[in-house]
Amino acid sequence: MNINEYFLSAYQSLRSNLLRTLLTMLGIIIGISSVILIIALGQGATASITNELTSFGTNFFSVNAGTFEGGSAFTGSVKTLTLDDVDAILNDPSLTNVESVAPLVMASSVVAANGEDDRLSVIGTTEEYFTILKPKLISGRLLNKDDEVGFSKVALIGVDAVETFYGENFDPVGEVIRVDNRPVRIVGVFENESQLAATFNNALYIPIAIVQKQILGQDHLQEIEVSVYDTDLIDQTITDVEVLLRDRHDIDSEENDDFTVQSFQDALSTLEVVTGLLTTLIAAISGISLLVGGIGIMNIMLVTVTERTKEIGLLKAIGAKQRDILTQFLVESVVLTLAGGVIGILIGTGAAFLIAKIINIPFIVSTSSIVIAVGVSTAVGIIFGIYPARRAARLNPIDALRHE
Amino acid sequence: MNSSPLIQLTDLEKTYHSPAGDYKALKGISLTITAGEFVSIMGPSGSGKSTLMHIMGALDSPTAGSYRLNGKDISSYNDDQLAEIRNKEIGFIFQSFNLLPRTTVLKNVERPMVYAGIVSAERTRRAMEALERMHISDKANNLSNHISGGQIQRVAIARALIMNPSLLLADEPTGNLDTATSHEIMKIIVDMNKQGKTIVVITHEEDIARFAKRKIRLVDGRIG
Repeated sequence: MNINEYFLSAYQSLRSNLLRTLLTMLGIIIGISSVILIIALGQGATASITNELTSFGTNFFSVNAGTFEGGSAFTGSVKTLTLDDVDAILNDPSLTNVESVAPLVMASSVVAANGEDDRLSVIGTTEEYFTILKPKLISGRLLNKDDEVGFSKVALIGVDAVETFYGENFDPVGEVIRVDNRPVRIVGVFENESQLAATFNNALYIPIAIVQKQILGQDHLQEIEVSVYDTDLIDQTITDVEVLLRDRHDIDSEENDDFTVQSFQDALSTLEVVTGLLTTLIAAISGISLLVGGIGIMNIMLVTVTERTKEIGLLKAIGAKQRDILTQFLVESVVLTLAGGVIGILIGTGAAFLIAKIINIPFIVSTSSIVIAVGVSTAVGIIFGIYPARRAARLNPIDALRHE
Repeated sequence: MNSSPLIQLTDLEKTYHSPAGDYKALKGISLTITAGEFVSIMGPSGSGKSTLMHIMGALDSPTAGSYRLNGKDISSYNDDQLAEIRNKEIGFIFQSFNLLPRTTVLKNVERPMVYAGIVSAERTRRAMEALERMHISDKANNLSNHISGGQIQRVAIARALIMNPSLLLADEPTGNLDTATSHEIMKIIVDMNKQGKTIVVITHEEDIARFAKRKIRLVDGRIG
């Protein structure tokens, strides 16, 4: 009997009890469609975040004061990172890949303007910062060298902060606001378009000297941003900067760093690790659903074999060998799971398409996940169909013929 | 007519084992049927006639004794060897459940050729010819459950003969039919015998048994 006839015969018998066939396939449909859906959404979300990160820039890295182990990263309690470190990184003759270096201090200040007040992040930095992170200038100008040298009490304000104080469609350039009760003049309005930097839209950029001396009263930095010419060489540059800073901070070879370097390359690899873990987890969960689906298939196939005992007897009487009967029932269970798998792929893909549209991420269904889904459904059909099929094949022809 | 022995049963015994104890259905049957004979096997229920029919049809193996079919001792054949014998040497007509459900008349007649590995075009041609001989080719594409009882038996005969077997084994072939249709079916079987086919009919009806040239009666597992 050739394979087409086995498929035709399987199709006819599955069609003859359509409702039962559909209910039996349900476990496989749910299992496969959820795998397809979740993998598609995972890949879409990853692609979306990767795009964000790349658009934000992968040509720079941050040196943060403190370490995660010490629990003090970003808290400012480690005071070893200074403006001298900034100069050293910028001027070290061996660091040829370093393009620009910007210091960063952050304060949380009460800002009052136009009769309103609110607590905002106040970021003290230099003009180099704007060549590295590139916020978009909406109106006015960026901070410049003169502001730094002249201790100018000027500020660049984020679009969200403008809306808080002045409402929409107001150009606040030239207005004077109070930061912790000190008058500061607005010279420009900026907007970060990347979702990752959106919180800075509710912040002020002020020359670093003002923030260090007048607002915080400290000399150390929280962060240094370093941009490079060649992104491919960024790992080497990071290592070189680490060596330089360890040397400058008198850290012995046994001691740990007192700073932490972070790059979007790191973030990207972290993202990949997390996605990988999630995928494994989902695969395990869907494995359980496919196991349950498979047991359902086995159950129904056993019922089918019992129902068709007389038919099996007749087939044996006219010359069907064990192998013929085995193949016929195995093909039937594979057709069942494969059809379930295909329906699952269609439902999963459709759902992924809709959800991706709604939450605005790229719609990605990879060929490999479809190939795997087809492979897995076939495997479930074989694994859970083999026992019922063997039972059918081994029936004694007279017992089968006599069966009522 | 060929008179070489087609079936040679020697001291055939069949014992069934069950938790309630052993049951000896056949207690030493010796029987020779030559090619071209038309034999009826009669007996009340429990006489062993079904068991004998199963062994003669290669559906079951004897516990003791030997069964030579066409000169070959098949009493110790394994499952697949017996399947081959059933496919090529024996045509079956059962009382009921002769045809595969959800399957057309034509595909039913083709099925033994499928197991014999005959290609599709050849199968269809031969099956149509067989259906024409039984005057039922107009129902070739009907599903098997959409034809009458007499038509089912004619399709069953067409299928039983499709591999040109040496033996046609009919187990109560008219058990589910009215008298007129019964006689029509028996007339076809008689015609097959006239054309040289060896026929064994198992029945409990005298009316049917009288079509046979030789009657064998079984009583309590022995030839009476």
